[in-house]
Amino acid sequence: MDSNGSLRANPWARSPSLTSAANGLSSDPLSFPGFGLQHNQPKWDGPSNSDYGIRAEASFKEFNQPSQNGSPPPPDSNNEIEFADQENCHPSESSQTNGLQDWDPSVVLNNLSFLEEKIHQLQNLVHLIVRQKGVGQPTELVTQEQQLITTDLTSIIIQLISTAGSLLPSARNSLINTSPLLAQIGQLQGPTVPSGTGVGISCIQPQKNVGKKMSDQAMQTDLPNNCEMEQNYNNVEHDPKDEDDADDGESLAPGSYEILQLEKEEILAPHTHFCTICGKGFKRDANLRMHMRGHGDEYKTPAALAKPHKESGSPKLIKRYSCPYPGCKRNKDHKKFQPLKTILCVKNHYKRTHCDKSYTCSRCNTKKFSVMADLKTHEKHCGKDKWLCSCGTTFSRKDKLFGHIALFQGHTPAIPLDDNTKGVAEPPIQDSKENSKEGNMNNTFGSIPSNGNEVQNVMDVKGNSDDPINYFSSLNFEANFGVFNDFTRPLFDDSESSFSFVMPGSFKSGGESGSDNLQ
Amino acid sequence: MLSESRLCLLTEDLLIRILHSLGSERKPWRLVCKDFLRLESATRKTLRVLRFEFLLPLLRKFCNIDTLDLSLCPRIHDAAVALLLAQGSPGWTRGLRRLVLSRATGLGHAGLEMLVRACPVLEAVDVSHCWGYGDREAAALSCAARLRELNMDKCLGVTDIGLAKIAVGCGQLEKLSLKWCLEISDLGIDLLCKKCLDLKYLDVSYLKVTNESLRSIASLLKLEVFVMVGCSLVDDVGLRFLEKGCPLLKAIDVSRCDCVSSSGLISVISGHEGLQQLDARYCLSELSAPLVKCLEKLKQMRIIRIDGVRVSDFILHTIGTNCKSLVELGLSKCVGVTNMGIMQLVSGCGNLKILDLTCCRFITNATISIIANCCPDLVCLKLESCDMMTENCLYQLGLNCLLLEELDLTDCSGVDDLALRYLSKCSELIRLKLGLCTNITDIGLAHIACNCPKMTELDLYRCVRIGDDGLAALTSGCKKLTKLNLSYCNRISDRGMDYISHLGELSDLELRGLSNITSIGIRAVAVSCKRLADLDLKHCEKIDDSGFGALAFFSQNLRQVSYTLVLLSLNQVILILSLMRSKSHSSAAFESKLQHLLYKNYKCYLNEHN
Repeated sequence: MDSNGSLRANPWARSPSLTSAANGLSSDPLSFPGFGLQHNQPKWDGPSNSDYGIRAEASFKEFNQPSQNGSPPPPDSNNEIEFADQENCHPSESSQTNGLQDWDPSVVLNNLSFLEEKIHQLQNLVHLIVRQKGVGQPTELVTQEQQLITTDLTSIIIQLISTAGSLLPSARNSLINTSPLLAQIGQLQGPTVPSGTGVGISCIQPQKNVGKKMSDQAMQTDLPNNCEMEQNYNNVEHDPKDEDDADDGESLAPGSYEILQLEKEEILAPHTHFCTICGKGFKRDANLRMHMRGHGDEYKTPAALAKPHKESGSPKLIKRYSCPYPGCKRNKDHKKFQPLKTILCVKNHYKRTHCDKSYTCSRCNTKKFSVMADLKTHEKHCGKDKWLCSCGTTFSRKDKLFGHIALFQGHTPAIPLDDNTKGVAEPPIQDSKENSKEGNMNNTFGSIPSNGNEVQNVMDVKGNSDDPINYFSSLNFEANFGVFNDFTRPLFDDSESSFSFVMPGSFKSGGESGSDNLQ
Repeated sequence: MLSESRLCLLTEDLLIRILHSLGSERKPWRLVCKDFLRLESATRKTLRVLRFEFLLPLLRKFCNIDTLDLSLCPRIHDAAVALLLAQGSPGWTRGLRRLVLSRATGLGHAGLEMLVRACPVLEAVDVSHCWGYGDREAAALSCAARLRELNMDKCLGVTDIGLAKIAVGCGQLEKLSLKWCLEISDLGIDLLCKKCLDLKYLDVSYLKVTNESLRSIASLLKLEVFVMVGCSLVDDVGLRFLEKGCPLLKAIDVSRCDCVSSSGLISVISGHEGLQQLDARYCLSELSAPLVKCLEKLKQMRIIRIDGVRVSDFILHTIGTNCKSLVELGLSKCVGVTNMGIMQLVSGCGNLKILDLTCCRFITNATISIIANCCPDLVCLKLESCDMMTENCLYQLGLNCLLLEELDLTDCSGVDDLALRYLSKCSELIRLKLGLCTNITDIGLAHIACNCPKMTELDLYRCVRIGDDGLAALTSGCKKLTKLNLSYCNRISDRGMDYISHLGELSDLELRGLSNITSIGIRAVAVSCKRLADLDLKHCEKIDDSGFGALAFFSQNLRQVSYTLVLLSLNQVILILSLMRSKSHSSAAFESKLQHLLYKNYKCYLNEHN
């Protein structure tokens, strides 16, 4: 498992309930008195919604002020998101949410005034340096002062983070993509202030997969960036189909993202990760890492097993993918190019649109798919929508169809032609023959004349005449119905064997004159 | 020449009248007289062909038919229909109103649809016992928008979908029989009742329908006859729906509905006092007092069949005193039928025409004499296993019931030659069953033969004292016999077969266990009885290959032969099989039977040669 790997890789992940132990960790030398104080506050009597909302908003503003000067207060909706997150957390992660609820505006105020004081001190110091510049100072002293300032700044930043720690979930949701600063914060806080991350991420995770097991809790200790990837990963696992359409609603400016285009071979390759030693291929990086353990102890170290995280220092450009098939709407050269969001989207899109449909549904034998997951989804519902009206509407239940027919004048149920070939209409002697034939319907037509002039010929034709390939698909419905009405056609084949002296044309005229009579 | 000139004097109208009054004698007339042939071709309305090969020329000749019966051509198939439509006289289908395709199992949906579409005024179709028919055939039938009558008995593949097709396509349906269409459920019936509001006759026998169907059916305002034999999922709750609905209901059949009790019938009856027919065979164990009370209201009741019910004298008395217009009463296998009860019954119901007293063992001569006295119109009397009666009762019967057409005396050991002599006064007799009446001899049979020329069905099963002389008399007197059972009349020999060969109309012959007849006798029958369709030769041990060869060669219309335990060589069986097949006439059932026999005989053959 991927998550297992990351668990081992993180030296600070000593216990899965690490986040709940955040209180204990506040004794970390780098944490500030205010922070510890925050946890000593009396607990909230009860989770009063309105109170909470107000509080959250207030704290959010305070958080924003020091970190991003001049940035506008985020819209209220953010708070609501956060609020929803909190709600989700309640059942499974109550200990963590309690830790969060201990948080009090007065503590924040305390912290902020402390920060202000510190900033003032620093300001004075810098002023001093500026003034001394003109006088001329020995370089040793200057460097010493610079170091002093750096240390102070660092401590200020750190305290700022720990103050803002509890607000991180909302901050992440709204700002992580746009603000490189926050990404840095995340990076910074990792080793130094575990309590902050713990709280922050624990609120994200439950939202994505409420009720997931311990392994997920371990993931919470991953860095925020990883966490984002995990989210993506989870999405993929849950609903691969949505991906294709998901980015349709998104309107990214043409230049705002980086376009990647994989080659056809790359897309269709069964494996994307290969062992450098034995060459074995894997679909997932984590599986490869697991595999590597067998090649020696050097691959068993936490570092080797850790998830290779991407460099998040620089503001990364959003990646979008293009389909290598020329002329495709998903191809970057297309006029109305619509990019694909992830590699998985590319794979599914390419298979669905530009590849043969090699997976056939074993139940209906008609539906074909190129993506296995699509077949699985279809098989779940295959045969359910088998009630079809002449107007093309399908129903999963017979009584619904009959209700529909009773309601509308002239509508009749369409006959599932497939059923008839199973030998309902055949004498029992023919049964075995019929069954064997079902596999390759197309061949039977050719073999008819050799069968002589028996009744079964007629039956065979009957079974095959309107053999529909995709009968239930509403698209093909009209076409099939046309064949069904054209009853003279199958007869020609048959007539040749038993009534060779009758010209096919004469049949047709007979049939047509008959129908003329009717009108 | 002289006769022809005289016929020329008559107008066509008069000739047509003569033609109609000729009845079944028309054939010789049209064979010798061109005028009659012409008139026959022009006026003939019904065509029932025995063999498909003749259909095409016949259709050219008779182009004004309105009824076509193909029930004897089970192997007619789609291509044949296409041929008929293409090569038959133009427009023979224009006037066709009634199409009988019963047992035409070879016809597929495509052919059926062609046929139906070609007949613009088609009103009635019978596809009963086309057991392979399914929804697509039903869809083909639904093309006949003017259809009023449809019989789909035993179309095993028809589901709710097919029924829905018909219900939507044929909105004018008045008569529909869905007996044994086992796939049809409540949904289909419900839709039918919503779409076909003109239904007058509906048969849902043996369907797996529940009370919900009855709720739908109750909404049919024009329904007159409702048959639901063997609907074991319907109970009194369902029948209660009918109490309020179907205001015109005249006949209901709830036979073999296990869950129906007296209270359900009471609700039906109380809602429909104009009820004329009530069938409740084998569904009640006894009639409750309230139900009997209800029966008093049914003054217009004409037919009651309550087979298998425990009755009492009081019940029969109630029926007799209230249902004055009763025409038919079925008391078959009823417990508690006594002389007194029957006397009270018939004293009130003088119009009785059909009385079924099968297995009412306590009936004696006195009762039958009273029946004979009170019911002069009696047409059908069934006295099977009423073994307490003797020849005297038949004397009364022969004296009073001169209209009697059908009499069942199976297993009445009291019947002897004298009884038959009395009975022979009933000169209208058409069907007579004398099975197991071991006392009758050739003399008794001769009495019947001399006086009952209309006899068409005669059952002499195990009348062991009947011999060749009796058959001689029978075949000289009863020329119209179509069905004859001589099983186990061991005295009959090849001479008897010779006599039987004089029966030109014979179609159904049972010769089971006649150990004295040989191939020569069978050959005589095969040569002369052209209409023979069904032949039972089981345990006729002396018949060999040549007899079957003759059958295969001469009996063109043979459809079913039963001949287990007959020694046959394999070659002969194959010969029969091939000949039968070449006639393109035998039914699928027959073939499979033969195939089965082929195997059986093959084993015999191996045994013989080892």
